[in-house]
Amino acid sequence: MSQATEKFGQRMRRREDPSLLTGKGVYLADLIRPGMAAMRVIRSPLAHARIKRIDVSAIVHDPNCLGFMSAADLPTALGVLPAMDLVETSLPVQQRVLAQDTVRFAGEPVAVVLARDEYFAEDLAERVIVEYEPLPSVMNVRAGIEAHAPLLYPEQGSNIVHETTQRVGDPDGAFAAAAVIIEETFAFRRLMGSPMETRGAMATLEPDSARYVVHSSTQIPQVLRTELSRITGVPLEHLRVVAPRIGGGFGCKEAVYPEEVLLLLALQRFKIPVYWIEDRAESFSATVHGREESMHVRAALDAEGIVTALEADCLADIGAAYALFTNTPSAAVAMLRGPYRIPHFRSRARSVVTNKTPLNVYRGAGYPQATLAMERLMDRAAAELGIDRAEIRRRNLLQPEAFPVERGVAYPGCGPVVYDSGNFPALLDSTLEAIGYQGFPVRRAQATGEVSLGLGLSFVVEMTSGGGVEPARLRLTPNGRLQLLSGITAIGQGSETTLAQILSDHLGLPADMVEVLAGDTDDSPNAPGTFASRGATMGGNAACNAGDAFILQARKLTAELKGVNVDDIAWKNGLLAARSSTAEGSSVQELTLMSLMLEAEARGLNPAQRLDVTARFDDSGTGFASACHAAVVSLDRGTGAIRVLDYAVTHDCGRVANPLLVDGQIMGGVVQGLGGCLFEALEYTDLGVPLSKSYMDYILPTAATAPRFILRHIETPSPLNPLGMKGAGEAGCSGAAGAIVNAIADALGNEIPLPGGSGPFTPALIHEILCNASLKDASPC
Amino acid sequence: MTDALGMMAGLRVTDALLDAPLDISMTVDGATVAAGVRPRYLLSDFLREQAGVGGVHVACGHGVCGACTVAVDGTPVRACLMLAVQADGAVVQTVASLSELEGDTAPGKDGLTRLQAAFRQHHALQCGYCTPGLLVSTALFLSEHKAQGRPCPGRAEILDHLNGHLCRCTGYANIIAAIESVLA
Repeated sequence: MSQATEKFGQRMRRREDPSLLTGKGVYLADLIRPGMAAMRVIRSPLAHARIKRIDVSAIVHDPNCLGFMSAADLPTALGVLPAMDLVETSLPVQQRVLAQDTVRFAGEPVAVVLARDEYFAEDLAERVIVEYEPLPSVMNVRAGIEAHAPLLYPEQGSNIVHETTQRVGDPDGAFAAAAVIIEETFAFRRLMGSPMETRGAMATLEPDSARYVVHSSTQIPQVLRTELSRITGVPLEHLRVVAPRIGGGFGCKEAVYPEEVLLLLALQRFKIPVYWIEDRAESFSATVHGREESMHVRAALDAEGIVTALEADCLADIGAAYALFTNTPSAAVAMLRGPYRIPHFRSRARSVVTNKTPLNVYRGAGYPQATLAMERLMDRAAAELGIDRAEIRRRNLLQPEAFPVERGVAYPGCGPVVYDSGNFPALLDSTLEAIGYQGFPVRRAQATGEVSLGLGLSFVVEMTSGGGVEPARLRLTPNGRLQLLSGITAIGQGSETTLAQILSDHLGLPADMVEVLAGDTDDSPNAPGTFASRGATMGGNAACNAGDAFILQARKLTAELKGVNVDDIAWKNGLLAARSSTAEGSSVQELTLMSLMLEAEARGLNPAQRLDVTARFDDSGTGFASACHAAVVSLDRGTGAIRVLDYAVTHDCGRVANPLLVDGQIMGGVVQGLGGCLFEALEYTDLGVPLSKSYMDYILPTAATAPRFILRHIETPSPLNPLGMKGAGEAGCSGAAGAIVNAIADALGNEIPLPGGSGPFTPALIHEILCNASLKDASPC
Repeated sequence: MTDALGMMAGLRVTDALLDAPLDISMTVDGATVAAGVRPRYLLSDFLREQAGVGGVHVACGHGVCGACTVAVDGTPVRACLMLAVQADGAVVQTVASLSELEGDTAPGKDGLTRLQAAFRQHHALQCGYCTPGLLVSTALFLSEHKAQGRPCPGRAEILDHLNGHLCRCTGYANIIAAIESVLA
């Protein structure tokens, strides 16, 4: 019998923790062995330049140099890095493994050197002379779309490389009839996920089979294997990719990177196993960025505060080339309307190449921007019309009986947007109560001195778990271990615990009887990987399907063994019950999995092969999770400091498998979102030199910035999967900026305008806003 | 050694000199580890490569994030900011010595110390990369308070302590809760 704490829905403690807490977790760096060469990447210091000359004379005869490669040394047929969400009209601007002739961002790999350790590799890299001829650079989207802008890819004729438009109803008519039009331009800053473990990878040769093995701290081992094969021409069957335990992903490890290809090429060329661990300074320009875009939004409202139309024009700054999922952030503008009805809608999202690090998805993938823009407009409309902020939202929310809701827009690559389930008014009510909305005016009035309090609300509705087909494999090993081989890579989200919990509950077993493995392409099914809040829903439902297939196989095998009909074999909490009837009556004999294995083996029935099943979960649609956030912030008019005091989230991710872990995702996501609007921004000089090179110039949230959390769940089961689940990994991050920036605006008061966008609202920026406001009043600052 | 100092000493500082190994020895989690290391070799690399300690995680290499924190002669040190030669003769304790750092007699039957068990109970870790360093410095923080006769530091002191560590996953609230749960 399974324990109560192991059932679906219980706060089960994580099986991952004992090894992680004792320092025994095996991350990429723990796999480095003596005798491996260290690779150092020589990167462009300039944003845009022609490579005139690469001089390696100072190192070629150095005994410490074990290898060197620039573009000239690479195979001519080498493929470019992949991009997965392009549309027909997208221009092909994909990054090369090493820059050839032209560098397009500071940090772009130009060459690599191999040495016996990282110290020597770094020394050698410094002695390679690369001579550049600077080219004019494009450092923002406005400059990029000007008529005579320098072109990153002159052969393409434009820096605009992708465009998506959407239209619902008659937006022009609605704007013409509007009582009020609110409009604003939002600037979303360039951020990065910056997991605590930087990226890293290694390439080794399997001693016996002569296969190549690439270990990488990647969220997508199967995609990486496929793409490495395509890029290098190494046949798939000669390639194995393994993702060990990963020290955080957030989208940073959801791309195929030049270093992974270069390690494989270096192994082939120099015949030595070779590793690369990104250092933190290079991480800031070598690992994908997120978020940066400029969005102009207009909303039409009638006098009652009903939003009749919304129009958005978005320019995403995607950096110098596509990353793996470049267009999702700009396409998420299609989701701008969130939980609100808004019958008429029009959007245009364009991607512009600039001389910066490629932009990829970062936790939330477009929703943080869409949420912030929509929710700022709601607050501004409420102020303009004199309607309470909660009330104006309530008037516009989609109602529970409206589901499923066809939104009339398409999510590029994922088809039409149909909200499957939700109860938005209930989310609002719950969150208002949790944050103390009614009592807030009193609380605000009690603030003393230079401190002002503000409260902000935001809603997020996000596509989760859309992954098409997810396979899972379940097998009984000859020594009696029940192993789930999942495509969901462990990046810290606790997938091993959650999947074991879901599957063991489904099978009626104690959770510790199920082992969960992922990340090795030799064993794990060919699945997309871990991203887009898909792990628990896709992986969980696939595991249950594999469980069903396994039970059927086990019953068939038992029937064969006992010489009875399969209908006489029942699966009961991990035991196979064989019913046999004789003249005297019927009796039931129970068989454990281990004895089934042994008996079937003894009879030559090949149990290890037959009790090894792969089943698929085919997602019939995309589950949309939703949440209502509320933040209370304090703003110190003396220092300009913002503190988030209280933070409430009511979250609907359908049925919650493990509330302990889902709450962990929400809190972590909220604080990440908080960082993005209070502290973080990747800064460049006008010429494109990156200024953010350490955690001293890219400021992450610390413990003192963590708010007091009030977390609640409302479960509207998704009808799209048997478990009724929706994804949970990103809702915290997606809604946070909207609530916090609204709260900052509220603390400042409506008379002081807030710059549109994600700030970051540092003390310096708040001070500047206050100074500008008082200058306007002609009083001294 | 700078060039100027080297010249004063009549030496020319060369790569060869910088790379000449020095024999050092230290106690790491109770075992003596001796090796010839170059002067510029970092303590974090020494612990990982020579002492075979997996629980020292280098996350930033700049001394900001605290993931590589170890105890050197009972004091918290960023192992990425100390040279191995500076720790010659020292007693180094990593997360493997957490039980001693916490002043407990022995870990519980699950092999976890009180602090580790509290982290698990409160879901105070996700990817786990920052966790070992955080545990080491928290154990030192708590035992220092105990030694001063103030076994229950307040919220402000705990936050002040935690501000020396970066965690990108948890949002910190559960870490704070875990630490508060073990206060005497």
